[in-house]
Amino acid sequence: MSILAYNGAAVIAMKGKECVAIAADRRFGIQAQTVNTDFQKIFEMGPRVYIGLPGLATDVQTVAQRLQFKLNLYELRENRRIKPKTFMSMVSNLLYERRFGPYFVEPVIAGLDPKTNEPFVASMDLIGCPMVTNDFVVSGTCSEQMYGMCESLWEPDMEPDDLFETISQALLNALDRDAVSGWGAVVYVIEKDKVTRKELKTRMD
Amino acid sequence: MDILQINQTSDYKKAGPLQAHFNPYSYNGGTVLAIAGENFSVIASDTRLSEGFSIHTRENPKTYKLTDTTVLGACGFHGDVLTLTKVLDARLKIYEQDHHKQMTTGAVAAMLSTMLYHRRFFPYYVYNIVAGLDDEGKGCVYSFDPVGSYEREAYRAGGSASAMLQPLLDNQIGFKNQQGVTRIPLSREKAVNLVKDVFISAAERDIYTGDSILINVITKDGVTDERFPLRRD
Amino acid sequence: MATAPLFRTEFWRNGPQPGSIYNFPGGKTKPDLNPMKRTMNPTVTGTSVLGLKFKDGVVISADKLGSYGSLARYRDLTRVMKINDTTILGSSGDYADFQFLTNLIQERVIEEECLNDGFGYTPLRLFSWLTRVLYNRRSNFNPLWNTYIVGGLQDGEPFLGYVDKIGTAYQAPTVASGYGAYIAQPLLREAFENNPNMSLEEAAKTIDRCMKILFYRDARSLNKYDLAIVTKDGVEIKSSIVSETNWEISDFVKGYE
Repeated sequence: MSILAYNGAAVIAMKGKECVAIAADRRFGIQAQTVNTDFQKIFEMGPRVYIGLPGLATDVQTVAQRLQFKLNLYELRENRRIKPKTFMSMVSNLLYERRFGPYFVEPVIAGLDPKTNEPFVASMDLIGCPMVTNDFVVSGTCSEQMYGMCESLWEPDMEPDDLFETISQALLNALDRDAVSGWGAVVYVIEKDKVTRKELKTRMD
Repeated sequence: MDILQINQTSDYKKAGPLQAHFNPYSYNGGTVLAIAGENFSVIASDTRLSEGFSIHTRENPKTYKLTDTTVLGACGFHGDVLTLTKVLDARLKIYEQDHHKQMTTGAVAAMLSTMLYHRRFFPYYVYNIVAGLDDEGKGCVYSFDPVGSYEREAYRAGGSASAMLQPLLDNQIGFKNQQGVTRIPLSREKAVNLVKDVFISAAERDIYTGDSILINVITKDGVTDERFPLRRD
Repeated sequence: MATAPLFRTEFWRNGPQPGSIYNFPGGKTKPDLNPMKRTMNPTVTGTSVLGLKFKDGVVISADKLGSYGSLARYRDLTRVMKINDTTILGSSGDYADFQFLTNLIQERVIEEECLNDGFGYTPLRLFSWLTRVLYNRRSNFNPLWNTYIVGGLQDGEPFLGYVDKIGTAYQAPTVASGYGAYIAQPLLREAFENNPNMSLEEAAKTIDRCMKILFYRDARSLNKYDLAIVTKDGVEIKSSIVSETNWEISDFVKGYE
């Protein structure tokens, strides 16, 4: 079995009208055994920049910490907040440095541009090949299921409330068809003047 | 650089007699989907037959009419699909001549299960879904794994894009993860439209699904055909 | 075979070992107890076969090369055959297996003819039978290492089918095996979609273009091919067609010196 699927995870991000959303499940398991149900996979990397890290749990935490470290240096040197697109390059660079002994995470990035408030979503493979899209990105052990949901549910220019419902439905129904992800979910809806974090109740089996 | 060289040479490993190992299976893709309604069933499949990155033909539906009230959807390894459907047709003909009636959908499903299990240790690499009407005229769907484990269900997607279709069916037909909804029985029109919608989605992301779909609706009056185009790339 | 002798006596040298199975000098006597070996790879092979339906029938083409690995060993093999007045067959893959099946089919055609009951092989019957033969051979792990293309007139309508060594089979208006599936099939499909009712001349021209392009890019091909044609007038096999090639642009290919 792939190391990427050792702990199980699902992360998804979607664009809306002047808003973005990012969501993830909360399970931490070791293969089929669930160990914890409040595991953090989405990390705030600025007021309107978030990263979701599905993959090997130990690498999730290491990558999150190393990114936070690099981000602090960036902000000290530049004296300004990072743009989501710049942050994506930072993540990509961090992962590609380990090209031949990679961190087993496939990140999802969502955010708003600090100046223009332009929505931004992107995903990456485990060695840092970035992919920026205009609609949605998915990553994790039930990515196929999430693709199926998103292709049918997503539509352009959704308001924050619609976006929340869509991303939640897309994630939840995908999770329920994956044995190694689920056990709770968390959704962040990012708007220009506020970020809403909601915890979703899900099937716990 | 050492590491690079080792990786490169491993691609050109040992010279010597070459033996292509014979693989009796191949994967020809395809997706089938069936939904049971109150007094009808819908079963649909795409019409693409592929192998690797090639498309053999764009005109190969994966639904097979077995009796007046039973349709089989089968995909996976096409050689096994052809064999399985041929044997099934023969068994159904024998049954019809022995009993002077057609097999019921439930009996077809049970027989298919034993036929699949018969090849337990050299399986038919086929994902089967049987759709039809039960003894009371209600819509019924049976889904199988390649070695014959089966159950009756309200809806099921099978084949290459099954993982993309199934969660959406859970949501839209099973009303999963929805609160405070009135569970209205599924109409024939809604079922057919849903089938089109989910296949369009699957064709976006699955290279083994596309070209067009064939939708069979089974009612007491017989089986109808409907074609619907999908993207061909 | 050279086992250490059990006895060393002056008067019984180089003879059979006392107490052991008699060994003929120089030869092996023990039967081969290894598991039976089967062909798991092809030997002399033919490359792509192309098939195309047109208004009044079907054409099938295959070049005349028999490759032995990368060696162009035989330059005058025939890989298309006439079954009867309404049916033709083309084969790519192992040539020995094709010859075996050719013999088998001809035997059966003669046997059918002797019955004189008005029945014979139609394209669909041959196609169906071939599918079963190939599938059963693969199921016994003793495959016939070929892809067969069956063409003909079935009840007056053009028929074209494809069967491979594991029993995958389908019918289509254009078919191609081997490299032809990658190089020629897109061209054939385009030609057929633009003009589903081609004349024989147009079909033969389309095939010629495909065979030529295959010759340019498929290293295991030859610029000499057979073209089998079925129409209501019967079967015609045009033998050893050489298409005109043009190597002018080859001067512009640089960087491989």
